[in-house]
Amino acid sequence: PAPAEAGRAPGPPDGGWGWVVLFGAFVSIGFAYAFPKGLAIFFKEIQDFFGTSYSEIAWVSSIMLATTYGAGPISSILVNRYGSRPVVMFGGLLCGVGMISAAFCTSILQLYICVGFITGFGLALNLQPSVIIIGKYFLKRRPIANGLAMAGSPVMLCTLAPLNQFLFDNFGWRGSFLILGAILLNCCVAGALFRPIGPGTALVKTQVTEKEKDALKGKITEDSPMKNKTEEEEGKDCFEKINQYLDFSLFKHRGFLIYLIGNVLMFLGFFAPIVFLAPYAKHTGIDEYSAAFLLSILAIVDMVARPATGIIANSRWVRPRIQYFFSFAIAFNGACHLLCPLASSYTGLVVYSGFFGLAFGMVCAMLFETLMDLVGAARFTSAVGLVTIAECCTILLGPPVGGILIDTFGDYKYMFIKCGTVMVLAGTFLFIMNYYNYRMLAKEEKERKKKEEDPKSVWTENEGKITWNKDSMQDGPELEPLREEGERVKKEVNGT
Amino acid sequence: AGFIKSPLSQKRLTQDSVELYCEAIGNPIPEIQWWFEGNDPNETYAQLWDGARQDRVKINATYNLHSTSTISIANLTGDDSGMYECRASNDPDRNHLSKSPKVKWIRSQANVFVIERPEIHVQLTESSDKLILSCNMSSPHPTITGHKWIHRDKVLEEDENSSAFTSYIIEGTREEHSGVYECIYEGNPQIRAQVNISVAPQVTAYKKSEHGNEGDTGVLVCKNPSFPAVTTWTWYKSGHGVSALLENASGRYIIKSSGNKTELRILKLDIEQDQGDYFCNGTNSYGTGDATVNLRVRSRLAALWPFLGIVAEVLVLVTIIFIYEKRRKPDEVPD
Repeated sequence: PAPAEAGRAPGPPDGGWGWVVLFGAFVSIGFAYAFPKGLAIFFKEIQDFFGTSYSEIAWVSSIMLATTYGAGPISSILVNRYGSRPVVMFGGLLCGVGMISAAFCTSILQLYICVGFITGFGLALNLQPSVIIIGKYFLKRRPIANGLAMAGSPVMLCTLAPLNQFLFDNFGWRGSFLILGAILLNCCVAGALFRPIGPGTALVKTQVTEKEKDALKGKITEDSPMKNKTEEEEGKDCFEKINQYLDFSLFKHRGFLIYLIGNVLMFLGFFAPIVFLAPYAKHTGIDEYSAAFLLSILAIVDMVARPATGIIANSRWVRPRIQYFFSFAIAFNGACHLLCPLASSYTGLVVYSGFFGLAFGMVCAMLFETLMDLVGAARFTSAVGLVTIAECCTILLGPPVGGILIDTFGDYKYMFIKCGTVMVLAGTFLFIMNYYNYRMLAKEEKERKKKEEDPKSVWTENEGKITWNKDSMQDGPELEPLREEGERVKKEVNGT
Repeated sequence: AGFIKSPLSQKRLTQDSVELYCEAIGNPIPEIQWWFEGNDPNETYAQLWDGARQDRVKINATYNLHSTSTISIANLTGDDSGMYECRASNDPDRNHLSKSPKVKWIRSQANVFVIERPEIHVQLTESSDKLILSCNMSSPHPTITGHKWIHRDKVLEEDENSSAFTSYIIEGTREEHSGVYECIYEGNPQIRAQVNISVAPQVTAYKKSEHGNEGDTGVLVCKNPSFPAVTTWTWYKSGHGVSALLENASGRYIIKSSGNKTELRILKLDIEQDQGDYFCNGTNSYGTGDATVNLRVRSRLAALWPFLGIVAEVLVLVTIIFIYEKRRKPDEVPD
């Protein structure tokens, strides 16, 4: 690596090999989201084969989903340590192995382990790095890239559903699992495309700190303030090491907390309507095929909505205020659900499916984009891991709570009302909090610009310390970079 | 002694059955007897016993905490009409031949009317895609307060007319709507008649083509939803132009049949022998019907070839990608 690159690495390419990486991420994300849903076709046959009840089979899906979201932090730690490419290739291998061993299972418990845990964990190792590497390759065109990559989910679902049916008809469920295992190995191909970028900065940084440490150690015999400083440096190194793997300091980050709370709330009502759309349609007297067609409409609109949202979010007017757009999308989603009980005829439900597909696509396309926007590409790796494990609980709770509501009241509309209200609340919360966040960020930006303009030599050491302390009490978590600058200034002052 | 429950007066049709229930209490526990007085002016009360009237009378009595007795008369005739009396007494001298009892028997009466069952003329007419079922009740008949048409416990049509004639129209053919239909005349008592739409068995395959894995068990199912039920099911296998009758006895085949479904199980599927078309044939008194089921046997290794193909494709692609990367920028590849 070129030693002249000490300091900042070049910005993300925003194109070129990035498009190939985008394609890989498209495939990887598609598998991660669509695969658990596509498995439902095999459940009836497996249920008959093992003689279990439907709820026992449904656990396979739930375990898979829970593992995919719950293993987020592990994924983040691995990416922080090894980079995206090895993690995705290992994830693809794990998925393949999981499904292949599932083809030889002889009990439902083995299915839980093979399909649920192993494949779920493999999919988790696929999902996070794909999202992370988009942030590394794109900056100016990042919303478009995110929108296109997330479009992988509905496209894969539309492909997997008929493919699974075909495989099942021709090979039975065991043969299908074997072949699906091989298909999942293609995630390794997608992972191979994830050419590492940016690790240059990490290597260079460690070299620089090593040099600094040696220089400081050389001066140990000099005055005591220097000695204290080295001890401070070493103490910070330990924290830095933990934070290098999983950045827990994110919990002090205002934007991250807002995103976390808003999203955890939103996911309570996000997936339940999809799960219950077809049963609701059948409940109102629509036949099975038309009910299934509603879901197809949803998927097709979703497929188009995601890249379109990406393009809109990238435009000059929306990009700076992308958080507002995100909150609007969530609230729009909630409004759709609240209006759904009013649609009683088939045409009404078709219209609802169309709007729901649109809203769903909008939210999904910007899901990770907004997080990247808030915490920045460097800390995004840890952020996405922490967010997914927090969302894991509410995602799993959403549909069962909806189911309980339907069973208690015997009417689907309460489930829709609950989902709609939750999402409108989440949207409004995010809107207000992000307004506050934008204002705070603008204020901090102004203050930082002011300090950069003042020359450092004007301040004596004592004066500097007092004014620094006052300021540090008022500012929030954005203190870290400022404090470091202050340390550097002090060192220079000491040196002269 | 005193009555807790008294028998109720009822109206019945001939050939019907009737049940009268009586319950009495006292200390000591009273005995219950049943007495009958016919409608003839000359008739006097006579006692009924279990097995009377050519075994058409059954009396069931229990004497636990209190006395209960149920009398049921089957296959009623006009002569069964009259007054039925439930008598109870707990006097120890009640059945003594010479001593006259101090306490008289307490009595409770019920009137049973047996009405001649009116003839109902049922008819099924078919005309241009329509089926008309009709019931016509001949006089004399009790007062009619309404009609109901029922099929498989579901009410198809009802009204509150008092005419003796009622009909129901079905759009469709006999084959589509076979079954047992009942026309009910509401009144006191209720009178029912049956109209049957009978056809030859409408046999269909549960699934037109079935798959099975080599060495596993294959299951072929045929069903007959029409009326009346199939009396005989047979299975044939066609292969090499010859139809061979499959039997339960020949080791690998197990046939389980009922009136509306038949199941053929083939153990240890063999690709050569068992693949092909199977015919299920059902017969009843109105004719026969059959259906064809195609069985495909998958070899154990069928899924292996696509699997190996895809794994090979993955390895090739990954190798190509890495080689391409190494050749383009050999100096920038990180450790």
